[in-house]
Amino acid sequence: MTGLRAENLTLAYDRRIVVEGLTLALPAGRVTAILGPNGCGKSTLLKALARLIRPQAGRVTLDGEDIHALPTRAVARRLGLLPQAPIAPEGITVGDLVARGRAPWRGLLAGWSAADEAARAAALAATGLTDLAARPVADLSGGQRQRVWIALALAQQTEHLLLDEPTTWLDLPHQIEVLALLRRLNREQGRSIVTVLHDLSLAARFADHLVLMAAGRVLAEGTPEEVLTPGALEDAFGLRALVIADPVTGTPLVVPA
Amino acid sequence: MSRGLSLLAAALLLACLLGLAVGEVLLGPADLWRGLLTGEGPGGFTLRVLRGPRVATGALAGAALGMSGAIFQSVLRNPLAAPDVMGFTAGAGLGALAVAGFGAGAGLSVTLGAAAGGAGAAVAVALLALTREGLVPLRLVLVGIGAGFTLTALTGFAMTRLPGPEAMEAQRWLSGSLAARTWGHAGQIALTALPLALLTAALVPALALLEMGDDLAAGLGLRVQRARAGLAALGVALAAAAVAVAGPVPFIALMAGPLARGALRRAGTAGPGAVLAGAALTGATIAVLADLAARAAVPGVQLPLGVMTGILGAPCLLWLLTREMERGGL
Repeated sequence: MTGLRAENLTLAYDRRIVVEGLTLALPAGRVTAILGPNGCGKSTLLKALARLIRPQAGRVTLDGEDIHALPTRAVARRLGLLPQAPIAPEGITVGDLVARGRAPWRGLLAGWSAADEAARAAALAATGLTDLAARPVADLSGGQRQRVWIALALAQQTEHLLLDEPTTWLDLPHQIEVLALLRRLNREQGRSIVTVLHDLSLAARFADHLVLMAAGRVLAEGTPEEVLTPGALEDAFGLRALVIADPVTGTPLVVPA
Repeated sequence: MSRGLSLLAAALLLACLLGLAVGEVLLGPADLWRGLLTGEGPGGFTLRVLRGPRVATGALAGAALGMSGAIFQSVLRNPLAAPDVMGFTAGAGLGALAVAGFGAGAGLSVTLGAAAGGAGAAVAVALLALTREGLVPLRLVLVGIGAGFTLTALTGFAMTRLPGPEAMEAQRWLSGSLAARTWGHAGQIALTALPLALLTAALVPALALLEMGDDLAAGLGLRVQRARAGLAALGVALAAAAVAVAGPVPFIALMAGPLARGALRRAGTAGPGAVLAGAALTGATIAVLADLAARAAVPGVQLPLGVMTGILGAPCLLWLLTREMERGGL
């Protein structure tokens, strides 16, 4: 029972049920993309996986333990979350923002340790930001800024990394840059990555495992080839589309009909 | 200590020296120096009895208000959030007046009355502003503005029930005044505000996480609701401590944070700890200078401190409002 699992999960805001009876095992050491139409509950599911919302029924387990039975900081040392719209404090530099990812590892009165510095340096290097460490975050481009947030999550040194639409608002080259970075982090550092994405073909290109959701349920999961079929796209999005092999990578490419 | 904080501390020192030297009796540098060192000469009495306690009380109350405002501005991520704008100081003023009106006198009971009034106003505003999505900062600010008017009206009503002379005295106190403060007042605000400031300092790491949004803060291991409630409680208590010794002085809490941020940013980075310390220094400087201006502006007339901070603060509020509207924050 290793890794992150959702067992018979029901999630609701007030009385409005968003996700009902969902069971899902996220493969350890892989890149998983959660797909689905707007309002299908994918962001809500991600928040529940990150322990931000308490389920109405069912549970989320991390290596077999109920995530709500674990202390907040202990979870934050094993599982990082990059939400959709984090706020960069005014005037903060790249290095200072990335340093805040060390929060779950620092004691109340403990200073900045050698381990903290090593983690920050590694996070900056992995995201190609070492030379920008002294720059204010506000001066950076959208793609660079997104890399700063990913670096913050890396400095947290968690084995699981959850991201909510990390490519929204980015132009295509920057979307590819961010997704390539996530896959590289997975391959080189062995981190399990779960990300909510909108672009189906990019998801097929960069993720090992896809989860297709609709109306609070999992419609299909598996490899990109197994999940992205014309029938599943029709069911999930009401979209009539052809699925052909991507001429560059051979992964499924969705072409709306 | 960063360069920005050193500059703000120097400004406070200068303001205090001016506040001690200037008044009906103008002290020259030599008399001021001698009075400070030996307590003797023409400066001695002025410093020991007249202006010393007044400047000390003003500086400490201003610091408490400035820190309180900066806490709310950070926690609610809104530069318009401050205990005076949101009705908390009005609540504290009403609480203190209620206690004083019952003849319980000054000191501890007034402090407790102010604390109870401030906390009552804060809880009422939070409950009224509560929606299904939790507490939305802008809604909280707007409900607070409304609550402030209501509490001020209630205070006005309570005043009409007081006998003439007491009503005059209460009116003076309610506009925020440092007239006739003793070392007892200075000691009281020191003993209440310093422990609160230390507790706030312990929560600076939590504030650093809250600034980045609730979800990210929670993902980094912070118990968001608990941290926010703790910080808000400290903000209310700091404001109430200041109100108990200086009355509900308007606008200092609102002005100190943005001014300190501006000064700190010009001198380099501004982390949440530096902003809190800077807002305390700035609040103290504003209080001392505004009190000096209130004493010295019109010869022979002592205006209440609150009149001066109102004159200074209203344009500052308008500036913050227009800036927020341009940014689309409102």
